Amino acid sequence: MNYRIRHITHYEYEKPVTLCYNRAYLLPRNTDYQSCTASRIEIYPAHTLGQQRVDYFGNKAYFFSLEQPHKELKIDVVSDIKVHDSKYIHECELGLDLGNTCGQALVALQKSRELPVLEAREFVLNSPMIKAAASLREYARPSFASNRPLLSAVRELTHRIYTDFTYDPESTSIATPLDEVLRNKRGVCQDFAHLAIGCLRSLGFPARYISGYLETLPPPGQEKLVGSDASHAWFAVFSPDEGWFEFDPTNDNMPAEHHITTAWGRDYGDVSPLKGVFFDGGKGQKLSVSVDVSRLPTQE
Amino acid sequence: METRAAESPDELNYKAAGSGYDEVYGNESEIQPHWQYLLDGLKTLGAPGIHERQQKAERILRDDGATYNSGFPSSATWQLDPVPALIASEEWASIESGLQERAELLDLVLKDLYGSRDLIRHGVLPPELLFSHGGFLRACDGLSLPGEHQLVMHATDMVRDHEGNMLVLGDRTQAPSGAGYALENRTVMSRVLPSLFRDSHVHRLSLFFQSLRLKLNNLASQITQEQPRIVILTPGSYNETYFEHTYLANYLGFPLVQGSDLRVSKGYLWMKSLGGLERVDVVLRRVDDFYCDPVELKSDSRLGVPGLLEVVRSGRVIVANPMGSGFLENPALLRYLPQIANHFLGREAQLSSVKTYWCGDPQDLTYVIEHIDQLVIKKCFRRPSEHSIFGSELDEPKRLALIEKIRQEPLYFTAQEYIRPSTTPSWKDSQLLPRPSILRGFSVAMDSSYHVMPGGLTRVGSQSDSLNLSNLRGATSKDTWILASEPERQISLLESQPLPIPTPAQPRIAFPCRVVENLYWLGRYAVRAEAALRLLRTVFVQINSTYHMPKETEQVLLQTVTQLTTTYPGFTLSGSPIPAQPEAELLSVVLDGKRAGSVTANLNALLECSDQVREMLSADTQRVINDLRDELGGLADSLKQGLTAAPEEALDPLVTTLLALSGLWQESMVRGLGWRFIDMGLRVEKALQAVSLIRASLVPVLPKYQQQQVLESVLLSSEVLITFRRRDRSGSDMAQGLQLLLSDSSNPRSVFYQVDQLRKHLAELPSAANGSGLADEDRYMLEASSAIQLCQLEELVVEDEDAGTRVGLDQLLSRLQHLLHETSNQISTKYFDQIKVHQQLVRTDWDEEL
Repeated sequence: MNYRIRHITHYEYEKPVTLCYNRAYLLPRNTDYQSCTASRIEIYPAHTLGQQRVDYFGNKAYFFSLEQPHKELKIDVVSDIKVHDSKYIHECELGLDLGNTCGQALVALQKSRELPVLEAREFVLNSPMIKAAASLREYARPSFASNRPLLSAVRELTHRIYTDFTYDPESTSIATPLDEVLRNKRGVCQDFAHLAIGCLRSLGFPARYISGYLETLPPPGQEKLVGSDASHAWFAVFSPDEGWFEFDPTNDNMPAEHHITTAWGRDYGDVSPLKGVFFDGGKGQKLSVSVDVSRLPTQE
Repeated sequence: METRAAESPDELNYKAAGSGYDEVYGNESEIQPHWQYLLDGLKTLGAPGIHERQQKAERILRDDGATYNSGFPSSATWQLDPVPALIASEEWASIESGLQERAELLDLVLKDLYGSRDLIRHGVLPPELLFSHGGFLRACDGLSLPGEHQLVMHATDMVRDHEGNMLVLGDRTQAPSGAGYALENRTVMSRVLPSLFRDSHVHRLSLFFQSLRLKLNNLASQITQEQPRIVILTPGSYNETYFEHTYLANYLGFPLVQGSDLRVSKGYLWMKSLGGLERVDVVLRRVDDFYCDPVELKSDSRLGVPGLLEVVRSGRVIVANPMGSGFLENPALLRYLPQIANHFLGREAQLSSVKTYWCGDPQDLTYVIEHIDQLVIKKCFRRPSEHSIFGSELDEPKRLALIEKIRQEPLYFTAQEYIRPSTTPSWKDSQLLPRPSILRGFSVAMDSSYHVMPGGLTRVGSQSDSLNLSNLRGATSKDTWILASEPERQISLLESQPLPIPTPAQPRIAFPCRVVENLYWLGRYAVRAEAALRLLRTVFVQINSTYHMPKETEQVLLQTVTQLTTTYPGFTLSGSPIPAQPEAELLSVVLDGKRAGSVTANLNALLECSDQVREMLSADTQRVINDLRDELGGLADSLKQGLTAAPEEALDPLVTTLLALSGLWQESMVRGLGWRFIDMGLRVEKALQAVSLIRASLVPVLPKYQQQQVLESVLLSSEVLITFRRRDRSGSDMAQGLQLLLSDSSNPRSVFYQVDQLRKHLAELPSAANGSGLADEDRYMLEASSAIQLCQLEELVVEDEDAGTRVGLDQLLSRLQHLLHETSNQISTKYFDQIKVHQQLVRTDWDEEL
C-alpha cells in the first residue's frame, strides 16, 4: 500500500516571536515494514537553518531555527510511504500461540548474549514518562502466566486495555501520570500506549513507544473528510530471538497496513512531534494541527 | 628523630590518632622524612605564629572573595588549613601515572559508550548500568571532539587506606570543580608561609593551567584560523563554586558567560557583546550537560543556550567537557573498571578503586543488603540534594527503609566499602590534631596523554571521626605540596622543559552585554544608595536637633525622603498629616529590604550586580564590596536604638564605604568600556537624584525662614553647604543654591556636571559615530545641557502665587527627568541584551530526568 501523508502544524502567537529553535519528529523513518520514498518539510516563514539527522533510535530528527520576527509558524510535512504488505504478516496469520512463553522470554532476556537482546534490555528500564509500578504489574499480571506464549499474553493485555478504558480526549494531558490514567480508566492513544508499556516493563518485558499515523476509512459510501486523520501512537514488545511486535491498544489490533510509523523511543518524550523554545511572542499561542493520510495509486 | 609517643605537652608535637594510617607517621612510630622540615618549621613559628598566619590566610581569602556558597545569600568564606598536606616525590610519581592511566581509561569509556558501545556488545558492562543512568544522554550519541581525547578534564577523589595505599573513591567528569580552589590555596599559602613554602621545594601548579589553556586553544584551532574566542560558561552567582568560575576566568583570561549571554545564530554560537555578536569557538562548561540546551535536553533549563547541541554536532563549536560526559561519574563504573581496563588495555589499572558493589548485580545486591552497616551507599546518578549514606550511622528503622528502597530500585544504587581515611595534621583549637583527609587530583588532556596537576585539593574533616568530607559538610581544605626529592635539580629540570607557547592575550577582552549592564547598574545603585543615605543622615540630624523644627520644614524634608527614595506613599500620602513620630517610616526606608527603594534594597541590588561581574572587579574593589556587605549586615543592629541614639552615625560607615567604592572607580579603573558603563550609571543616577532632590525640596514654596532651612539641609546633604556660605552673595539665596545644585560646572555634584560627563561618554561608545547625525540619546543630553545653561535662575525661583510652587522650576526639572530617563532607556535598548527569557513551544510538564 502506498500513502501520502500531509501533516500541518500551525502556531499563532499573540505577539511576534523574535527567535525560535525547534526539534521535530515529523519525518517518517524506515522500518522493516515501510519505506519512506519521498518526503519534504517546509517551514513558513522561510527558515534560517534546517538540519536533518538520524537520532539515537534511528529516527529522523529535524532541527530548525527562525531568526526573523514572525507571528505565525507553519510546519508543513508531506511524506510518501510504501507499506510492504508482502512483509507484513496479518494478525490472523501470525501464530500468536507459538513462540516464547512469558517465562522463556524472561529467562532469555537475562541469559542471552545476543546483541538484539542486549539492546532491547534498554526498553525494560524506566524512562522519564514511564516508570514501573506495582499497580501496573497487578493490572497486567493475570494475562501473563509463565507458560503462556508472550505474544498471546500481550494481545490479551491490548484487548483488556481497549475494553477497560474509555477513549476520552478531555480526560488527560500529555503529562498525566500513568497511575492516574490507570485509576480513572480514561485517556487517549498516548496514554494507552504508555500504559501498556508500563505494564510490560513492570513485568520485565522490553517495550517501546511508537508514534505515527493511522489511515481512517470513511463510513461506507461517504467521501473521506480532508484533515480528519490524526497522529497516532501504539507500542511494540520484544521477544528474544523473535524480534519486535506491534500492538495498538486504542483500536484493539496489531498494526498492519493502515499504520504508518513516524518514530519510536522509550516514551512520548523521546519522539514528541515538536519541542523547542521561542523568545518573545507574548502570552498566548494558538495551535492547530491537520493530518491527512491518503492512498496513492499502487504502481505494479 | 621525633617519636610518635612523645610525651611533651607542646601543642606542636603532632601525635597521630593512635590507630590507622597517618600521613606523618605512616604505620610506624617515627616521622617520615618528608614531613620533618615542615613540622620543624611550624615549631619554629610556634602556636601564636601559626595562629597569626591562619588569620592572615583568612583575610586574604575573604579579600579575594573566595567563597563556597552553600546557599545564597549566605556564602561561606573558603576554609583553608594553614598546614599543607605533603606527598613525597617518589610516591607522587606513581599516583601521577595512575591518574594519567585512569583518565585515559575513562576517555576510552566515554568514546565507546557514545559510539560503538562495544563494552555493552561484548558483555563487559551490563546494559542496565548504562541505560538506566540519568547521565547517559541519548541526544549526545555520536558526538566527538577533534583530537585524541574526548575527556578534556578529569578529577579523581582518592583516599589512603590503613596500609597506606591510595585508592580511588570516585571520579568527576561532568565539570570538575576544585582546580581553581587548589590554585587559590596555593596562592594564599605562598603568601602566608613564604619561606617554608620556598624552602620545601614544592612543585608548581601554573604549568597545569597553562596546559589547560593550551588544550583549549588547540581545540579552538581545529575550527578556526583566527584568534579563537574561548568562554567559560557558568550557571551564575548562585552556584556554590561561582568563585572558582570567576577566578579561573581571570586566571585564564577568558570571558565568563552565562547561558543568556550566548546565542545560536546561523549555525554558530555567539556571545552577545557590546559590539554585537562575537563568534565563540570553545566553551569551557561549568553547567551540567543536561542543562545546556533546552531544545534537546532539559526543556525548562534557563542555564543553557537553545540550539547549542546542534551547533556542537555540526562541529562549529567545541564544548569541554563534552556534553554527555557526566555519565562517567556513575560510581557503579568503579565496580567494572578492572574488566574495562582488561578490555581496553589488556591489564589491570595501576590505581585501584575502593571496593565497589552495584546493586543491579544480583550477587552484589545480596552482599550489600547483608553488609549494609559496613558500606557507604551512593546513588548511581548524583543529584545536588543527595549525599552518600554511611550504613554504620543508620538506626534499625532507617536501615530497613534504605534496604527496601534499594530492593525497589536496585539499578540506582551503588555501595562502597567504607575506608577510614588516613589522618593528617590539621590546625585545630591551636594545636596540631590528626584529622581524616581525602585528596582530589586533576588531569587535563594534552597531546597524546594527560597532564596531572602536581598537587591537588586536600579536604580534611572537622572532627577526628568525620565521615563525610564534602565541603557542604563543613570540611576544610588544605594546599597539597608535592615535594621535589632533589630540590635544585628538580626545579631546574622543570624550568628546562620547553614551556608551552604562551598564548597571546586576547587582543580585546570582550565581555558579554550582561556584564556591561550590571556594571551600569552597579554605578546606579551605588549612587542611589548614597543619595538616600546622605539625605537620611541630614534629616536625622535635623529631627534630633535640640531646637524644634517648624512643621513645614519637617514636612518638606520627610516628603523629600519619600520622593528621592521612591518609597511611596511614605510621607506623601495625601490628606494624612505628617506623623508626629516619623521614626518607624524612616527606619523602614533604611532597613526594609523588601521595600523597593529602601537603602537596604538598593545595597542588596548593588551586591547582586557585583556578584554578576565579580571577575571584573579588582581585589581592592572586592574588599570594599565585602566591607559593604558586612556593614549592611550590621545595620539593623546599629539602628536598634531607633532615632534616640544618633542614628546618623550608624549610616556614616556606609557612606564612607560607598565613597571608597566610587573613589576606586575613579582612581584605579582602566578607562575601558567597563569603567565607562559604571561611570555612565553613576552620572545618570547622580543627575536623576539631584533633580529629584531639588524638585521635592525646592519647588514647594515655604515661609522665608523655613525655606532657608530646607535649602541648607539640601545643600548639606549635597556637600555644598560650606561652598554656599563662603560664596559672595549676588542675588537671592535660592538662586545661588540652585546654581550650585543645578548648573555649576565646577561642582562635581551638579546636574550640569553629570550631563556634561554623560555626553562625553556617549561620544566614546562603539556605535556612537555612525555619521548619520545625532542619536536619540545624544539629542536628549544636548537638550538637557542647553536647557540648564539657558535657564534664568532668578526667574525660576519666582514663586507662583496661585500654585504655591515654583512652576517654572518644576517644569524644567520635570523635563530634565524625562530626558535622563529616555537616555537611560536608549542606553539599555542599544547596548544591553533585550531578549533574555524564552518560553517552551510545547510545555513539558513531566520530569524529564530519570
